[in-house]
Amino acid sequence: MTCTSIRLTTDGSVAFLTLNSPRTSNAITAEMAAEVAEACQAVRQNDGVRVLVVTGAGRVFSAGRFPPAGLAHGEAGPAPILERLRRLRVASHIAAVEKPVVAAINGPAIGQGVELALACDLRLAANTASFVLPHLQHGLLPWDGGTQRLPRLIGLPRATELLLTGRRMTARQAVAIGLVHQVVPSGQLMAEAKELAERIASAAPIAARYAKEAVLKSLDLPLEDGLRLEADLAVLLHSTQDRAEGLASFAQRRRASFSGR
Amino acid sequence: MSTQSTQAPETIILSKRDNIAFITLNRPHVINAYNVKMRDDLWVALQAVRDDADVRAVVLSGSGDRGFCAGADLTEFGSAPSQTIARQVRFERGVWELWLTIPKPFVAALHGFVLGSGMEMALLCDIRVASRDATFGLPEVGLGMVPAAGGTQTFPRLVGMPSALQALLTARRYTAKEALRMGLAHAIVERERLLPTVERLARRLAQQPPHVMALARQALLHGGDVPLPQALELEERLAVRAALAASRG
Repeated sequence: MTCTSIRLTTDGSVAFLTLNSPRTSNAITAEMAAEVAEACQAVRQNDGVRVLVVTGAGRVFSAGRFPPAGLAHGEAGPAPILERLRRLRVASHIAAVEKPVVAAINGPAIGQGVELALACDLRLAANTASFVLPHLQHGLLPWDGGTQRLPRLIGLPRATELLLTGRRMTARQAVAIGLVHQVVPSGQLMAEAKELAERIASAAPIAARYAKEAVLKSLDLPLEDGLRLEADLAVLLHSTQDRAEGLASFAQRRRASFSGR
Repeated sequence: MSTQSTQAPETIILSKRDNIAFITLNRPHVINAYNVKMRDDLWVALQAVRDDADVRAVVLSGSGDRGFCAGADLTEFGSAPSQTIARQVRFERGVWELWLTIPKPFVAALHGFVLGSGMEMALLCDIRVASRDATFGLPEVGLGMVPAAGGTQTFPRLVGMPSALQALLTARRYTAKEALRMGLAHAIVERERLLPTVERLARRLAQQPPHVMALARQALLHGGDVPLPQALELEERLAVRAALAASRG
């Protein structure tokens, strides 16, 4: 895969997707979005990869461009606009990855950059990170899941305030309301992200995927159906070698070594 | 602009400065207890706010020293001719349903007692600022009632099930600080800074283009009631409408 605006690397069982257009503050373009889609597909299909880390090169995580690339004035009608917004999407590709995804937010996340981070499962932020959804003042609405994922993650009151006012939030404020899980000094971000990703990667991969699926679907299913899904996934795991290995390692008081089968 | 009623003292004061409408609950001698007259005046005020194209944001506050609103006026309870008529009136003059259809942001200025239907009115607003002395609570269950201004539905949607069940079942009171932690209040300020803070916030909201403000509020209001895939489709439809308007300048 030849990429120009992102980088996809792997280190052991952890893959790193780096937005790599620092000169344009990693603003998302249709080209970058297509590369993110391709990278996510590669991560999903690579059994050696257990966890994905998403980050940005340079000092900015990802700055939205207003109006976004390809959405200039004078568009014809709703169909081409819809087409363009869809081509710019990245969060939906990240959200389609069944494996755990960690965001390492290396600096300001602006507009679609916030939406990208919201599609990840865990968020680590550098102390230089900040968050803002400035769409409304540009006459636009978030189009990459922001209006729906933000309230689901931090609650409707705070999501409402952030979206309607367009207020910028610091990393410290973000951790206080649960938008990010941890803030670390900028220089330690990637080391911390790698350590966190490796800790997740050391767990049984199928169990981690199922846990993610069950928790994410819990918000969308009636309780009865959610409990059924949980029970089904738990029973499915009975058939894996990793569950036997997990139980054996516990009995033998040793670290488990999971194969992902 | 003010409400039309002349026979009885106004239970609601409606005023306007620039693009901001100010709705003030005005029965300070009973901590702005919500009664039938206030319902009717609020009904009129909400329609005026909805229909006035100049109004881009609304500030809701309570007059007097003691509080924003101490709840429903219990002295009027049982005064409806029959349960059937009470129910009919409830839906023919559905103040809360009307409120939720107004495509403009509401900011609540909450001081002193914020109880029962007072709390529920605050929950219908988009942003809530509390003064340090504010006290919150839903005392209905302790009085043999349930909240009926939307509280059983808005509270869990806003702050989550654990806090909602605790507030409803124990009828306990919460300090401003607890409300802030819960996410119920967005900020706490000193009493004398409450109205200026809320007005500044309302001005900020009023600066946003009104049509995208309305779309964003729709996304927030309705998106939580459907599974994520449908919620994302809703967002997409609304985002296209916003982008279409923006591209046409």
